[in-house]
Amino acid sequence: MIFAGSQSVIAQINQWVAPTIDWHALAPELVLIVGINLVLFIDLSLGAAKKWAMATLTGLVFLAAFIPVVTLAVIGDASREMFDGRYVVDGYSLILKAIFLLAAYVLVLMSQNELEEGGYYQGEFYVLMMCSVLGMVMMTSARDLIAIFVALELLSIPAYMMAAWRKRDSRSNEAGVKYYLLGVFASAVLLYGMSFLYGTTGSTKLTDIGASLVDGDLLGLQVLAVVFVLGGLAFKISAVPFHSWAPDTYEGAPTPVTAFLSVASKAAGFVALMSIVMLALAPANSVVRPMLWVLAALTMTVGNVMALRQTNIVRMLAYSSVSQGGFILMPLVVIGTGNAGDSVLRAVIVYLLIYAFMNLGAFSIVIAVARRTRSGEITSFGGLFGYAPGLAVLMTIFMASLAGIPPLGGWIAKFNVFKTVLDAGDTAAYVLALIGAVNTVIAAAYYMRVLRQVWMAPAPDGDVSPIKVPSSIQAALAITAVGTVLLGVLPGLVLRFGDITDLTGALAR
Amino acid sequence: MEIMTNDNWLLTVGTFLPLVGVLVMLFIPKAEEQLLKTVAVITAGATLAVGILTLFRFDYGQAEKLQFFVDVTWIEVIRSNYTIGLDGISLPLYFLSMVVTFLVIIYTWDNMPDAGNPKSFLILMLVLQVGMAGTFVAQDLILFFVFFEVVLLPMYFMIGVWGGEHRQYASLKFFLYTMFGSAFMLVAFLALFFQTGAESFSFMHLVSAGGLISNEVQVWIFAGMFLGFAVKVPMFPFHTWLPDAHTQAPTQGSVILAAILLKLGTYGFVRIAIPMLPEGARAWAPVIAILAVIGIIYGALGCLAQTDMKRLIAFSSVAHMGFVMLGISTLTTLGINAALFGMVAHGLITGMLFFVAGSVKHRYHTLEISRLSGMLKQMPRMGWILGFAAMASLGLPGLAGFWGEFPAILAAYSPGFGLNVTLFRTLMVIAAVGTVLAAAYLLWLYQRTAFGEPSPEFSGQTPHPVGAGVNADHHADHHDEIRDVTPIEWIAWTPFLVAIVVFGVYPQLMFGVMDPAVSELVARLGESLNP
Amino acid sequence: MLAAIEPTTTWYLLLGAVLFGLGSVGLLVRRNPLVMFMSIELMLNAVNISFVALAVRFGDISGQTAVFFVMVVAAAEVVVGLGIIVSIMRRRPGATADDLAELKG
Repeated sequence: MIFAGSQSVIAQINQWVAPTIDWHALAPELVLIVGINLVLFIDLSLGAAKKWAMATLTGLVFLAAFIPVVTLAVIGDASREMFDGRYVVDGYSLILKAIFLLAAYVLVLMSQNELEEGGYYQGEFYVLMMCSVLGMVMMTSARDLIAIFVALELLSIPAYMMAAWRKRDSRSNEAGVKYYLLGVFASAVLLYGMSFLYGTTGSTKLTDIGASLVDGDLLGLQVLAVVFVLGGLAFKISAVPFHSWAPDTYEGAPTPVTAFLSVASKAAGFVALMSIVMLALAPANSVVRPMLWVLAALTMTVGNVMALRQTNIVRMLAYSSVSQGGFILMPLVVIGTGNAGDSVLRAVIVYLLIYAFMNLGAFSIVIAVARRTRSGEITSFGGLFGYAPGLAVLMTIFMASLAGIPPLGGWIAKFNVFKTVLDAGDTAAYVLALIGAVNTVIAAAYYMRVLRQVWMAPAPDGDVSPIKVPSSIQAALAITAVGTVLLGVLPGLVLRFGDITDLTGALAR
Repeated sequence: MEIMTNDNWLLTVGTFLPLVGVLVMLFIPKAEEQLLKTVAVITAGATLAVGILTLFRFDYGQAEKLQFFVDVTWIEVIRSNYTIGLDGISLPLYFLSMVVTFLVIIYTWDNMPDAGNPKSFLILMLVLQVGMAGTFVAQDLILFFVFFEVVLLPMYFMIGVWGGEHRQYASLKFFLYTMFGSAFMLVAFLALFFQTGAESFSFMHLVSAGGLISNEVQVWIFAGMFLGFAVKVPMFPFHTWLPDAHTQAPTQGSVILAAILLKLGTYGFVRIAIPMLPEGARAWAPVIAILAVIGIIYGALGCLAQTDMKRLIAFSSVAHMGFVMLGISTLTTLGINAALFGMVAHGLITGMLFFVAGSVKHRYHTLEISRLSGMLKQMPRMGWILGFAAMASLGLPGLAGFWGEFPAILAAYSPGFGLNVTLFRTLMVIAAVGTVLAAAYLLWLYQRTAFGEPSPEFSGQTPHPVGAGVNADHHADHHDEIRDVTPIEWIAWTPFLVAIVVFGVYPQLMFGVMDPAVSELVARLGESLNP
Repeated sequence: MLAAIEPTTTWYLLLGAVLFGLGSVGLLVRRNPLVMFMSIELMLNAVNISFVALAVRFGDISGQTAVFFVMVVAAAEVVVGLGIIVSIMRRRPGATADDLAELKG
C-alpha cells in the first residue's frame, strides 16, 4: 500500500522536461557565480603582495551583479517565474537583491584594511563572502521549501567559516563553533518542520502549501510543522529565546564579519521568514500570529535589556541588533489582518534597507576607531569628538538613527513598523505597539550612552592625535551616512518600493 | 480652518535659513572663532529679519486663518505632506523662537561656556532653531513630530557637553523622559490617523474628523498625547527632569529650554490634542487642571526649599507652566488666551532670569543663594534687572507675567463645556494661593541676593589678612571679574526687558493676534461638544 | 505472522521522531563538540527519513529530491564543522563545550 506510489515516481522521472530558463532573470546570480570562480582562480595565481587586489575585484563583481538587477527593474513589469513558479524574479526579490548587493559592497569596503593588516587569507575570505551573498541573492527569489533551504545553507556555511576566520584566536574559534553548532541545529529543526509541512500538504512549493492550509482546520502535524519552521528561522534571525549564539559570535568574530552577520545574514533570515510566512503560512494565522507576537515582544525587550548592561561596543551592537530584529518582526505579526499585506512587506523591506545602512555605518566607525584604540570597550570612544569630530558626528548620526530619532532613517523605519501594526487595530496589535514604544526608549538609553562617551567623556588614554581613516572605510562611511540621512529626510524615495503586489498577489491566488 | 496661500515661501525660508548658516560654518575651521560667531549672528539675524517680515506680511484681520500656507507632497505612501502655515496661535511663538535664538547667540559672543568649541555650540543652536520654528509652523502630524524631535539631540548635547558638574546625568534624564513621552505620542498619532479613516495626517483633516471618533477611543488616544506633551511641558509627575536639566545646562541652553522648548508641549495641547480630540479633552480636563494646580503649589514649595538660584528658577518654571496648563484645561477662550499669553510671557521672563543667573554664575562662579548678597551694591544694574525680572515673574500687574496668570485663574471660575464648576473653583482658590507663594519665594530670593552688603568672599576685602600691597592686587583681580552688565549683555537683554514692559502695559498687542484664532478653536470645540 | 504487519507511514514518522528526539537530547546533554555534532547529524537523518516516507506516501518526487539536497548540504556542513572543531581541539585538546566560555555576558 505504502509503496503504491513508487510506480508513479518513476513515471514522473520519465515525464521530466527541461525547464525553460530566463537567463536575464538569473543574470545577477550568474554574474556572482562567474565572479566567484574568477576570484578563486586569480587568487591562486597572485603573489602575496598583490592580494589587496582581491577586495577591489570582489567589489567590482558585486557592482557588476548590480547591473542586471537594475536592468530587470527598469524593464520588468511582470514577474518572471521559473521552474513552475518556484524561483521567481519580481519587484520584491529585486529590491532585496539590490539591498544585499549594496550591503555586500559596503562590507567589502569595510573588510579590506582589517584583512590586509591582520594578515588573513584574503582571497578565500572574499570567495566565501561572495558565496554567502549568492545564497542571499537566491533567497530573495526562492519560493520553494527546498530552494529556501539550499539558499539558507549556501549563505550560512561560508558564514560559519568567516566567523572563525582568525583561526589562531581562541575567541574567534569559539565564535565559529557556537555559531556553527546552533546554526546547524536550527537548520535541522527547520528541515524537520519543512518535512511535516510537505507531508501534510503534498508540495514543497510555497503557494501550494498556502493553498492547502485551512485556518481553523489545521492538523496537529501542521501546527507542529509551523512551530518548527518558525523556530528554526528564529535562530537565523537571532530572535529571543533563540538568540544565545548571537552575542558570543558577534563579539568573537572579526568585526567586519560581525557586521556581515548582523546585517546581511540576518536580513536573509528575515527574507526567508517573510517569504514562508506570507506565501505559505499565512492561512495558519491562528498559530503564526501568537507565536510571532511573543517572539517580537520578547526579542526587542530581552535584546534591549541585555544591551543596557554591555560595556563592549560590539557586544552592545550585537544585542542591539537582536532587539532591532524584534522591531522587524513586529509588522509580520499582523499579516492577514485587514489590508496589511502590502504594508507589511513595505515595512519589513524598508526597515531592512535602512537598518543595513545605519548598522553598517556604526560598525564602520567601530572598525575605524578600533584601528587606533585597539579596544572594543565603549569607554574607548571617550573624547572622540575632541580628536575626530568627523567620526563623532557620523557616529552620532548612526546611533541616533538606530535609536529612531527623526529626521534620520531609523525613524522612518520604526514609524512604518508602528503604522503597519496599528493598522491592524486590534488589542493585541496595540499592546505590541506599546511594548515597542517602551522599547524605543530603553534602546535610546544605551545608544545615548555611546554618544555620551563620544561627546562628553575625556579620551581614556589621553591620546588625542587624529585618527587616520583608510579611504575604503571613508567610502563605506560616506555611503552609509548618505543613505541614513537621505532616507530619513526623503523617505518617499524607498517607500514606493513597497508597492509589491506580486508576492501578495500570489498570496491571493 | 480656512487658508491663505499668500507669500508662501516665507515660512520655509524662515524655518530652514539657519541650516544655510550651519552649512557655511561646517567649512570654517574650528580655530576661527570670531568668524564662526559672526556667521552665526548673521544667520540668526537674517532668520529674525525673515521673522520680522512675516510679522509685517501677516494679515491681522484674519488671524484665525492659516496664512503663508504651503502643502506639498512629502511622503506619499503614508499620506503625510509638507504642510506648513501660521495663524494667530503660532505666530507669537514662532517669532519668539527667532528672537530668543538671535539674542542667545549674541549673548554667546563673549559668554561662551567653559567647554569651549563655539563652532559646535553655535551649529547646535542653529539646528535647534530649525526644530523649534518648524514645530510651530507644521500643519501635519508627521512633520510636527519630526520637528518636535529634531530639538532633542542638540539640546542633549548642549546640556551634556557644555553643562555643569552633573551634566551627563541631567542630559540623559532629559533625553529619556522626552523620548518616553514621544514614543507614546507617536502611537497616539497613528491611532488617531487610523481611527479617522487613514486619509491624511494634516491638522485640518484631523481636526474635522477627530471629533467623530467614539468617546472612549478619544480618551485613550488623548492619554497617549497627554504623556508626550505633559513630559515636555512639564506637568507635575513628569517634571523631575526639568530642575536637573535647567541647573546643569549652560545659560544659553537654559534660556532656550525655558523660553521655547517647554512651550512645544503646551502648544501641542492647544494645537493638536484639544482640537482633534474634543471629547478626550473634556474627559481629561479635570485631570490636567488638578495636576496643573499641584504643579503650581509643588513648584512654589520646591522653590522655597532651593539653595541654588538656577534650580529655584527652574522650579518656578514648573509653577508657571502650571498656570498655563490650568488656563488650557478650562477649555474657554479666556483660559486658552491666557495660556498662550502666559507661554510667551514665561518665555521672556524666565529666559531673562536665566540670563541673569548665568551672568551671576559667570562672575561669582557660584549660584548658592547663601553665598550671594549685596548685588545691588556691587553691580547695581544687574541687581535692578534681577529685581525687575523677579517682579515680572511673580505676576506684578503692569508687567507681562500678570496677563498670563490672572486671566488663567479667572477662567477657572467658569470652565467651559460642562466641566465640574466646583472642582475648578476650588482649584482657582488654590492657584491664587500659589501666586502668593510665588511672591514669597521670589522676594526671598531677591532679598537674599541683592540686598545687604556684598559678601566678603567676593568683595575682595577680608580673605587676605596679609599686607596692604598684596591686598590691593587681590582687590584689583576681583573687581575685574565682578563687573556690572556688559554691552553685549545689554544688547541681548534689552529686547526682553522692553517686551516685558510693553506686553505688560499693552497686552492687547498679543491678545489681539491670538484671540481670533483661539475663539475659532473654542467655537469648533463647541460644535463637537454641544451639537 | 510477521508478514501481516505492514509498516505504515506512521511507523517511519515515529522512527524519525525518535531519532530527532535522540539527536536534540544528545545535543543538549553531551558536552563534547564532536558528539554534539554527531547528534545534529542524527537529527538531519531523522529529517531524511520523514521526507522519504512522506514522499513515498504521496508518490511525489519532490520529497525525495529534498533528501538529496539535505545529504549534500549535510556533507558540506561536516567539512566545515570538522574544520572548525579540529582547529579548536588543536589549540585546546580535550575541550568541551563548557570550556568554550571566554565569551559571555
